[in-house]
Amino acid sequence: MNFLAPAFLAGLVAIAVPVVIHLIHRERRVVVPFPSLMFLQRIPYRSVRRQKLRHLLLLLLRCAALALLVAAFARPFFAKRQNAIATSGARQVVILLDQSASMGYGDRWTRARDAAKKVARGLRGNDRATLVLFAGDASVASEPMATPDRVVAAVNAAQLSAEGTRYAPALKLATQIVAASTMPRREVVVISDFQKIGWANHNEIVFPQGTVVTPIDLGGAGRATDVGVSQVTTDRDSTGVRDHVTVAARLVNTGDKPRALAATLAVGGRDVETQQATVPARGAKQVAFASIPVPSGATRGAVRVTPDSLVEDDQLAFTIAPDEAVPVLLVEPTTPREHQSLFLEQALAIGDRPTFRVDVKTVNALTPRDFTGRALVVLDEVAPPNGAVGAALRATVNAGSGLLIVPGEGRAETWPAEWRAMVPAQIGRLIDRTSDAGGTLSAIDYASPVFELFNAPRSGDFSTARFYRYRALAPQPNAAVLARFDDNSPALVEQPVGEGKVLVWASSVDAYWTNLPLQPVFLPFVHQLGKFAGRYADPRPWFTAGEVLDLSRHGELTAPFLGGRGSDSTTELVLQSPSGERTRVTAAGANHLLTLREQGFYELRGRDTPVGSGRPIAVNVDPAEADLTHLDPQEMVAAVTAVNGERLPGSDLNLATPEEQERRQRVWWYLLLGALFLMAGETAMSNRLSRSR
Amino acid sequence: MTAIAPEQGTSFLDPTVLSRIGNLELLARTVVEGFINGLHRSPHLGASMDFAEHRAYMPGDDIRRIDWRLYARSDRYYIKEYEADTNTNFTVILDVSPSMRYGADPESGRISKLTYACYLAACLTYFSSLQRDRVSLATVDGDVVDYVPPSAKHLQLILHTLDRLERKGRDERVGAGKTTLFKPLQKLSENLRRRSFVILISDFYEDADDVVKALGEVRGRGNDVIVFHLLDPHEIDFSFSDASNFIDLETGEKMPVIPEYLRDKYREIVREHTATLAKRIGETRADYSLFDTSKPLDRALFTYLAARQRLLRVR
Repeated sequence: MNFLAPAFLAGLVAIAVPVVIHLIHRERRVVVPFPSLMFLQRIPYRSVRRQKLRHLLLLLLRCAALALLVAAFARPFFAKRQNAIATSGARQVVILLDQSASMGYGDRWTRARDAAKKVARGLRGNDRATLVLFAGDASVASEPMATPDRVVAAVNAAQLSAEGTRYAPALKLATQIVAASTMPRREVVVISDFQKIGWANHNEIVFPQGTVVTPIDLGGAGRATDVGVSQVTTDRDSTGVRDHVTVAARLVNTGDKPRALAATLAVGGRDVETQQATVPARGAKQVAFASIPVPSGATRGAVRVTPDSLVEDDQLAFTIAPDEAVPVLLVEPTTPREHQSLFLEQALAIGDRPTFRVDVKTVNALTPRDFTGRALVVLDEVAPPNGAVGAALRATVNAGSGLLIVPGEGRAETWPAEWRAMVPAQIGRLIDRTSDAGGTLSAIDYASPVFELFNAPRSGDFSTARFYRYRALAPQPNAAVLARFDDNSPALVEQPVGEGKVLVWASSVDAYWTNLPLQPVFLPFVHQLGKFAGRYADPRPWFTAGEVLDLSRHGELTAPFLGGRGSDSTTELVLQSPSGERTRVTAAGANHLLTLREQGFYELRGRDTPVGSGRPIAVNVDPAEADLTHLDPQEMVAAVTAVNGERLPGSDLNLATPEEQERRQRVWWYLLLGALFLMAGETAMSNRLSRSR
Repeated sequence: MTAIAPEQGTSFLDPTVLSRIGNLELLARTVVEGFINGLHRSPHLGASMDFAEHRAYMPGDDIRRIDWRLYARSDRYYIKEYEADTNTNFTVILDVSPSMRYGADPESGRISKLTYACYLAACLTYFSSLQRDRVSLATVDGDVVDYVPPSAKHLQLILHTLDRLERKGRDERVGAGKTTLFKPLQKLSENLRRRSFVILISDFYEDADDVVKALGEVRGRGNDVIVFHLLDPHEIDFSFSDASNFIDLETGEKMPVIPEYLRDKYREIVREHTATLAKRIGETRADYSLFDTSKPLDRALFTYLAARQRLLRVR
C-alpha cells in the first residue's frame, strides 16, 4: 500500500492525546488528602496498575478513530506488484563483457571470456541470453534471444579493443534489452575489471524493478600495477638549415615500486635511440630523445618501453610530418597604394605555427587557377570578381576556404549580384572619425576563435588602436558580429558559406585608415584571423582509439591527395585500418567522419596512391586505460538497481486508466466512514460512562 | 457490682449531633450523665470505703485496721479489707499528628478524627473527674506538645486545652514529617510517678512493633493502659471512586491512585494491621479498641468502664 499524501501520516501523533488524557490527566486532576500513604505504598505493582487504562475500550475507540481519520487524509492506494523479483520461470540474461584495452592486463581477458561462457552454459530450458561487448561504446554481439551455443560462439569471436572503458553505454543498452524482455526473470551479468575511471554515476541508468545485476569482478584481487607511455610530444626546431624535431615521452608507473626500464624511439620502422629510465612509484618520468631531422614526408614513429602485464600501453605511436604552410592569396587593386599589403604580408610571414605562404596578386591578373589550394583569400580593397574568376573563388569558398573582404572605399552597390548573398554584411557609407580622434573597438566577442586568445588579462590590448575611417556594415541575418566600434557599428562580421567562411573587415588592413597595424596586437590578431578564416587545425601527431576522425577539420591529412586545400572535397579517399580493413571516405560531405577503433597506424590514400605511400595516422590506446584503479562493483550495482520501490516511467501505475487509478484510491472513503462510525460509538460510550459516574 | 450493658442509652449520643454543642464541658456532661442514667448507678462509684473481706491478722499489720467488733464477738483478730482507693491518676494521651485531622467535612457534618478524639478525651476526663480522680492530659505529635499535669482540679484546664486544640487550623502541620509515638511516650512515662490509668488515643500509622515498643515504655512502669484506635470510615473501607492524586497529610508525599484497583488490597492490609495491633497490644495486657468516627461516643465509655472494673480491682 502506498499513500498519495504521506505527509498527513504525521497526524498519527495525535493518537498520543487520548493516551495522555487517559494515563496522566485523568489520574492527576483531583488531589485528595489522605492520612497516610503507608498502606497504599505497600501494595505491590502499583506502578503497573497505575498505567492500566481505566477505560481501555474507550481509548481504543478514540485511537482507532484518529488513526482511520489520518489514514483517510493520507489517501492510500494499492499498487500492483508486477515488478517484484520473480523466482521462477525462464530468464533473460544480458552478459556485458568488457573488451576495453585494460582487460588485456595479465590473463583478465581469458578469464573474462571463460566467465562469459560459463554464464552462457548455465542457461537452462527456455532461458535466453544477449552478449553485449563494450569498451568506449557498446554493441550487441549476439542476436537478442540467442541460445547458449550461439552466445559461446560470440564470446569466442570477441576480440580485445584498444578503446577505453565506459560503462554507461553498456548499461544503457542493457536496460533497453531488459525493459523490452517479456521473460519473467531478468538478469544482467557485468564481466569487467571495474576500472574506476570508466564509471560516472549520473543516476540516469536504472534497471527495471526485479532485475538482478550480478558483477563478475576480474580486477579486484590485488592491486594492478602498470608502466606505460602516456604522452609523446614533438617539438620543432626551425632555426637551422633543416627542421629538426625533438621527441619526448612521458612514462607513467602506477605500481608501488620504482621501475627501471628501457625506452626506445623508433622512426620509420627503425630504432633510433634507446634510453634507460627509472620511473618512480606512482609517478611519472619524462624521457627526451635527441633531436632528429624532420623527414621529408609524413613518417611513422613510436616510443616503446619494456613490455609488462598490460602491453597495449607499452608503445605509443605518432607521426612526424613536415609543416604545411597555410596558402594565402592577397588580392590588391590594379593600382594599389604604396605598401597597401605590406603590413598584412609581413605579419603573416612571421611565425611557424603555422607558417603562412602569402602570394600577392593584382585583381586584373587573377585567373581561376589562382584559387586552387588556397586556404585563405584576402580581397584587399578589391571588389569580388565576377565571371569565371568569381565563380572559381566562390567554389573555393564553398569547398572550405576562407575569404576576407576589406571593402575600403569601393562601391559595394556595383558588386556582382551573386556575391551579395555570400557577403555577410551590406557595405554602407563611409564613416569618418578623424574629427574626434578616431574610434576604438569597444565590443569584442572573446568567445570567437579570432579573439579568444586575447580574453585573458594582459594578453592583448585593442583599446589603443584608433580607427579614423571605416565603412558602416549592416550584418546579414545569419552573420555574426565578432567586433564593434565604439559607435556600435560592426567592425568584423563573419558568415559561414558552404564549408568555408566569409568575413568582412570594415576598416583597412594597412595604416591608411587606422593605426591598428602599428599596435602590438596586430600580429597575433592577423594570425588568429588567418587560422580562423583558413580553418587551420593544429596537426595531431596521434589520435586515441575510439576517437572520431573528422577529415574536414584535418586538411593536412587530405591535402596531399586532393591537390591542395579548397579542391574538390568530394573526391573519394581510402582509409585502411591496421588490420587491413578499408573504408571509403571523403574530405567533406557525407563520409568525412570515421571512428578510429584499432590501435596502430591507419593509412589514408588517394585512389591512385600505392599502398604504403599514403598518409599515416597514428592511433593509440586511451592513456586513461593505464589507470587501473578499482571500483567496488557493489557501488555500481547499487546505483543502477531500483531502490525503495522506485519505479521506471511507463510502469503499471502510469499506464493505468483514470477509472483504475480512481478505484485504487477509493480506500479513503471507507476509512472516513469507519472513523465516523467509531466516533459515534465513542460518543455513546463516553456518555454512558459519564452517567454511571 | 451491676453489670454494664454496652450500647445502652446511645440514641442521642451520635458524634455528628454532639458536634453541634459548642461547649466541651456541656458535651461531656451530656454524654456522661446520660450514660450514667442509663446505668442507674450512683455517680460516686468507688469513691467510698467499700468493704471487701476479712482476713486473719498477721504480725506487722496495722492494728488500726483490726475489726474490733468482730474481735468482741469472736475473740480473734481480723483485719478488714476494702476496695482499692479510686482516687487514682487518670491520664489521656492524645495523638494530634496531622493524620488525626483527617475526616472533617462541614457540608456533610462529618467530624475529624481529632475532633472525635477530643470529645472522647473530654468525656473520659469528665467521667473520671466525677470519681475524683486526678486527671491529666498530654498531646503528642512526634514529641510532647501540651501537657496538663495530674490534678483533681484540672478538668477545666484540660477541657480548655482540648477546645483550643480542636480549633487549630486543620492543615497547620501537613507535610511536617512522619510521627512516632515512642519518643513522647517515653518522656511521659517518666512523669507518671504514681500508678496511672492511661488512655492512648491515636490512629496508629506506625508498624505494630513500633507501637508496642512505645506502649512498653508506659506499661512497663505499672500503668494500666487502654488504647483507642481511631479511624475514619474512609480509612477502613477506602470508598473512593475517582482516580486521584493522594497526598499524605504527614509527609506531604503524593501518589496517583486508582481506587478501584487498590481497594481490596488496601482493606486487607488495614484489617491485617488492626488485627496485628489488637493481638500485640493484648499481649502487653493493655486493652485495645478500634473505633471509627461514625460510632457513638458512649461505646467508648462502656469500654473504659469495663476495663476499669477489671483493672482497678486490687486484692
